Amino acid sequence: MFSAFGLTAQTVADFKFKDLENNARTYSELKGEKLTLIDFWATWCGPCNKAIPELNKIYSLYKTKGVEIIGINCDGPRSVIKVGPLSKALQIQYPVLIDLNSELKTELNIITLPTLIIVNSKGKIVWTHEGFVTGDTEVIISEIEKHLNAD
Amino acid sequence: MSKISKSVLIISVVLSYSNLSQAQFSGNNIAEYQYGSLPGDSTSMSTLYDRLVAGYNYKFLKASATLEQFHTPLAGSSYIKLSQFSLQYKHKSFDIKAGNFYETIGRGTLLRSFEIPGAILEDLSYRSRHYFNRDLLGISARFQHKDFQTKILYGRPLNYVFPPTQEFNDRRADTFAAIYSEYSHKSQTLGVSAMKHSNSGTDKYFLMTTLSGNISEIVSYYTEIAKNVSDFALSDFSDQASYAIYGGLNLTINNFGLSAEYKNYKNILIGSGINEAPALIKEHTYKVLNRSTHVLQLINETGYQIEAFYTFPDLSTLTFNNSLAINNFGQETIFQEYFLEYDFSISDKHDIKIFTDYAEDPFKLEEHRISAGINTDWKAFKASSIKANYEFQTFKRLGENYQNHVFVLGYAYKSKIIGTIVTEYSNDSFIITEGSKIWFGAGIKYQVNKSNNLQIFAGERRGGPACNAGVCYEVLDFKGIELRLTSRF
Repeated sequence: MFSAFGLTAQTVADFKFKDLENNARTYSELKGEKLTLIDFWATWCGPCNKAIPELNKIYSLYKTKGVEIIGINCDGPRSVIKVGPLSKALQIQYPVLIDLNSELKTELNIITLPTLIIVNSKGKIVWTHEGFVTGDTEVIISEIEKHLNAD
Repeated sequence: MSKISKSVLIISVVLSYSNLSQAQFSGNNIAEYQYGSLPGDSTSMSTLYDRLVAGYNYKFLKASATLEQFHTPLAGSSYIKLSQFSLQYKHKSFDIKAGNFYETIGRGTLLRSFEIPGAILEDLSYRSRHYFNRDLLGISARFQHKDFQTKILYGRPLNYVFPPTQEFNDRRADTFAAIYSEYSHKSQTLGVSAMKHSNSGTDKYFLMTTLSGNISEIVSYYTEIAKNVSDFALSDFSDQASYAIYGGLNLTINNFGLSAEYKNYKNILIGSGINEAPALIKEHTYKVLNRSTHVLQLINETGYQIEAFYTFPDLSTLTFNNSLAINNFGQETIFQEYFLEYDFSISDKHDIKIFTDYAEDPFKLEEHRISAGINTDWKAFKASSIKANYEFQTFKRLGENYQNHVFVLGYAYKSKIIGTIVTEYSNDSFIITEGSKIWFGAGIKYQVNKSNNLQIFAGERRGGPACNAGVCYEVLDFKGIELRLTSRF
């Protein structure tokens, strides 16, 4: 049976969650023409909140170059009420979707928050980054450039 | 042949006959080796825990399995188990899952499942270690069409208190069958649910309704009422009845955001604990506050939580939280907390967070609990930073004054390598039998490559209550060496 397994990069299948305005949004309508950055985060996660202003900066740099960012919130029932107010206060520029049951997080084997993945135009996950510390912005930009050129 | 073995065989056959041009294999593995001792141990010992999750996707099908194992010299605590398996079909309007899966109804007042990423549970009774999750073993089917969705669930929730060494019927003593449907119209959503719960031959029926949506561009709300209708009339909301009322309101104006929540929970602990209503207590990232949490009492608790955020033009953020929990078990106790945090940057490079917190916690007999601290993240060079955190806490218990101190010093080069030294001090009589104690530990996290990272800890780690991803649990003190390798493929 194991000889039958195909060892290819994981792809992101279309998903559908509600946004902060209670509207159902899909990956296919939000994805970037060239690259899509998906940020898994939660309000109670310190490094996640530290990363958001940096992702805002990255978004303003690349949104005209075929790159979109989607925030996937993984707060869960306990603190999901805070997602809207915090997102507005932090002035998140990109769409934020609520994954209340951690469906996408489980599907993509996300085991740390924050985790940022870069998905290419074919839907393949080409880069995964766990955590966020000072200096990671440059690393993320470098990966975007690398995959923009490869795409 | 066991049920699990049969299921794995079926999944294998399905995969083997698949056309593989669009198939993919993915997964992750956590391996943790410990050499050390837990509280009460006279000698150190070696243990090894491993959890392998493997998934296989083909078009609209996904199969996955989790192999969990723990090895220890202690008799009866080691195991190798296929702890999860699942088969999922997801296409257009349909999502069907069989095996182990995660689902929550509403905000969890009737049913909540979860997985705490990276958390390994252990306790002094069983001396075994297992992953911290509450999954459901059964079947679920969801249908979505435009503004309508419905899901039907049947399963046996995991009671995570029991490790995999225990009997199946002890670990999954509850059985439930539920249906949840919701319909959205112009940013308003109405949801209704009915659930049958069985445990030890007793059946109970529950109903739940939710209403949520936007009142205007700046105000949104969420309400949820769940009720046991087997033992009490639908209209009975007395203190003896079994129900949960939860409501939340959001307000956002420019850079200002506010959430206000209300709870009223009476006798709504279902079975061995398959539900978990919103706690309305802030989950803090600061060590001294995270472990000082109030644990929600679903038998009798009312209260509220207000949290407000304001972002200044320089992107600094002010956060205020106030929570109140009233419990009445013959005598009324009131937990109350006020929290204030200011998060700002210097020269757009150095990040600083300062916080202060005041609480009264009669459950832990803590009076006038005052906590304060500062977290600094100093950008040293282009890609590296130095972190220095100090947290302090003082409170009175039965006339005596107690203190906790936490000091953290760290260095990070991107996320490639992160080194941290943690020192803690406490003279809390609930933790230290006599005098005071200092914990000292050091850790390194090294990103080996894009698929693997290695974490090493050496020293002594303070345990106690910990809250992560909205769930609180008990972490044991540990003294020794710990190596964790996390891999994804």
